[in-house]
Amino acid sequence: MVSNMVQSAAADEVFYALSNPTRRKVLERLSVGPATVSELAAPFDMQLPSFVQHLSVLERSRLVKSTKCGRVRTYEIAPKRFKVAEDWLNARRQQWETRLDQFDQYVTRLKEKESSS
Amino acid sequence: MSRQFAFNPKLDFAIERFIDAPTRLVWEALTKPEHLKEWYMPKPWGRVSRAEMDVRPGGIFSIDIATADGQESPNLGCFLDVIPMERLVWTSMLFPGYRPAVFDDIPITAIVTMEPVGTGTRYVFTALHRDEADLEKNKASGFYQGTEIAVDQFVEHVTAMK
Repeated sequence: MVSNMVQSAAADEVFYALSNPTRRKVLERLSVGPATVSELAAPFDMQLPSFVQHLSVLERSRLVKSTKCGRVRTYEIAPKRFKVAEDWLNARRQQWETRLDQFDQYVTRLKEKESSS
Repeated sequence: MSRQFAFNPKLDFAIERFIDAPTRLVWEALTKPEHLKEWYMPKPWGRVSRAEMDVRPGGIFSIDIATADGQESPNLGCFLDVIPMERLVWTSMLFPGYRPAVFDDIPITAIVTMEPVGTGTRYVFTALHRDEADLEKNKASGFYQGTEIAVDQFVEHVTAMK
């Protein structure tokens, strides 16, 4: 139960983090390799404080992690956390597929019954 | 009321208003997402695109604002102190659940106090900053101006709720 709640809270944070185009672009950029805050901010026409808030949402979701060296903060992707989204989507797909398989078998059986009668 | 913080005009700003509405409605408009959406963002600047409030110590403060060009920016923080119809305190220095935040933005602690005066309410919004430079930056970026506009929208919204 507690683990379910923790899991669900993690999914909330991850899916919220993924729900914004700016944050998704940052993740796409970081998938190529680590980058500093100013490198990440450069392609966006956005005030730095707003942009930094996006990074902070990503950091909270733990899809990324950062390290600070002197005055420069560098971000990198934290691949493990992507599994939260992946697992949730996979579980849904398995459900649908099982249901479709059952439906398929059921219709096949109906067809067999019809042709044998 | 015992003051648990010291206002310093060199570091902080406060916006005070008398609202001609009962404190109960002022609290409601301050804490319920459906009301926040109506006043939190200056209307000429954009709108609130999402609001989530878990109004208890450690709870989430999360408001996304969107400018007219559709660009969204999040505001994320953690409630510290909640006394219904009296005081609400949150900070952007912590993530929800008191988790220390990692970011290079200008953090604030926001303290809202309210008290009944006659049939109305005295309302004070205070933003505490780390230092003079942070306050200056928040004034230059429009944060201070935006907050003033939002407080006026708030007063108008609460008054219309009566």
